Amino acid sequence: MISREEIDTLAELARLKLTDEEASGLQKDISNILDYVGQVSMQSGQGSTLTQDSPRSNLRNVMRADLPRADGDPLAGKREALLAALPKREGDYAVVRKIIQKDE
Amino acid sequence: MGISELSITEASKKLQAGEITAVDLARACLEEIKKKNKSLNAYLEVFNDVLEQARVADERRAKGESHPLLGIPLAIKDNILIEGRHASAASKILEGYVASYDATVIKKLKEAGAVFMGRTNMDEFAMGGSNENSAFGPVKNPHDESRVPGGSSGGSAAAVASHMALGALGTETGGSVREPASFCGLVGVKPTYGGISRSGIMAMAASLNQCGVFGKTVEDAELIYETIRGKDPLDSQSIDPGFYPEPQVKKKIGVPRALIAQGVDAGVLERFEQALSTLRGSGYEVVDVELPSAPLTLPIYYVIVPAEVSTDLARFDGVRYGLSHKGASQWEDYAISRAEGFGPEVRRRIMLGTYVLSSGYYDAYYGKAIAARELLTREVSKVLETVDAIATPTAPSPAPKLGEKSDPLSVYLLDIFTATANLTLHPAISVPMGTVEREGKHLPVGIQFTAAHGDEEALFNIGKQIGGNMH
Repeated sequence: MISREEIDTLAELARLKLTDEEASGLQKDISNILDYVGQVSMQSGQGSTLTQDSPRSNLRNVMRADLPRADGDPLAGKREALLAALPKREGDYAVVRKIIQKDE
Repeated sequence: MGISELSITEASKKLQAGEITAVDLARACLEEIKKKNKSLNAYLEVFNDVLEQARVADERRAKGESHPLLGIPLAIKDNILIEGRHASAASKILEGYVASYDATVIKKLKEAGAVFMGRTNMDEFAMGGSNENSAFGPVKNPHDESRVPGGSSGGSAAAVASHMALGALGTETGGSVREPASFCGLVGVKPTYGGISRSGIMAMAASLNQCGVFGKTVEDAELIYETIRGKDPLDSQSIDPGFYPEPQVKKKIGVPRALIAQGVDAGVLERFEQALSTLRGSGYEVVDVELPSAPLTLPIYYVIVPAEVSTDLARFDGVRYGLSHKGASQWEDYAISRAEGFGPEVRRRIMLGTYVLSSGYYDAYYGKAIAARELLTREVSKVLETVDAIATPTAPSPAPKLGEKSDPLSVYLLDIFTATANLTLHPAISVPMGTVEREGKHLPVGIQFTAAHGDEEALFNIGKQIGGNMH
């Protein structure tokens, strides 16, 4: 079974603040699910050879040019609509927490 | 029979002949909504301008337009953006969020002149197979309100099955259109990966997500699909018709007997054999096929999906939109917003995904799952070189009772036959094949066909041999 410490580390990485009750529930659920999906790792060594000649290893990132939205793009002219969705806003800026502190 | 019970193709003919108007149709659906939505909980919001949209459609027809979807009332799943309207994916984390642009599928439906009735309930962020994971309460099955409609597109399915719309859009990751279509007696289609643009549709596991359609008949589902399909520069994975070579018609259906030998309800199997007989009667040869890796479908699926969920949902942090809480630190700002905004199944999948992607476990789980996914894809593709489609029941049972599947794994098992096509990128359809009786209620069940990449045509042709309108 996955340990409570592991659950706490995962929650920290996943940015989730869990209650004690939920953390112990997840310990059980995730262990059960991992036992079930573990069948994939039991499919002995064939995995790695398959990955190498797999067409999916040709997957590549698709980037768009960093340019203003062209006319006809559904997001063209939507600046205000996007800003309006900000939970905290000052003028045309999103308000975020100060993260750079002066050294003590 | 009320006009909301018409199929889209029937309604479209009457509209064109001037026997009814779009306003009549919209009113008839609104009337059903008034009677049924409170108990079914299919719509999270019914738009307040439905009649106005219908009036505009009637005006467009008067000016000579005649698209078959002009003036047709459709229900839209709550994870598909319509500019200026709320969209929440049935999650509290998107509280108050208003879409800033139209999804490409919505843009195409607006051009056709469809009338949007409202946004439909769903499992939160499309994670679930019973629609019990909505932050806004479960949807009930119109055929038996003590049962689930299936999920995650349960609201869309229930809306069409109860005549609160004539057709609907849903989304798929592992069967979220086909499984509720089976439970609600509808036709549900998941296209080839890339067949329909996903611009403006909230991603949950992007290597599997597709937009799907619901209709009362195969013709209706085909009509909506044809209207919204095609390559879109805003979805780099979308494809044009003709992207895959056209396969030869073989007049053969393959059945993976070993896969369905266990765990399938006896009544479902009986309907399935009947449906196969119907196909034999229409000149199809039914042959046995082998899919030795198919039992690995769900283990593969529940590694890859949580992995992608944990990354695709990282954008919900309380900073850019939606629910935002302030804690004692930057980490707490995120962690409290996300813990309060996401429901239990979403949190569970994020945790699981974080685990399988973490260093030390990545190769054992994610690496192996990707390799096994490839193996499975090759196997299915190989079989589809010899048959036009692979047939299975869509789900192993009719709709379960609300609350019956309380353990997460038992809900996952409902996707056992549907999730394969999402992993292998093949198109698949669920078509009603009759009902099975439970406690005096007749519960619909569906047959699923999976075809070669790009061969939706085979699905529609075969489906039409089976497809009786259940409504």
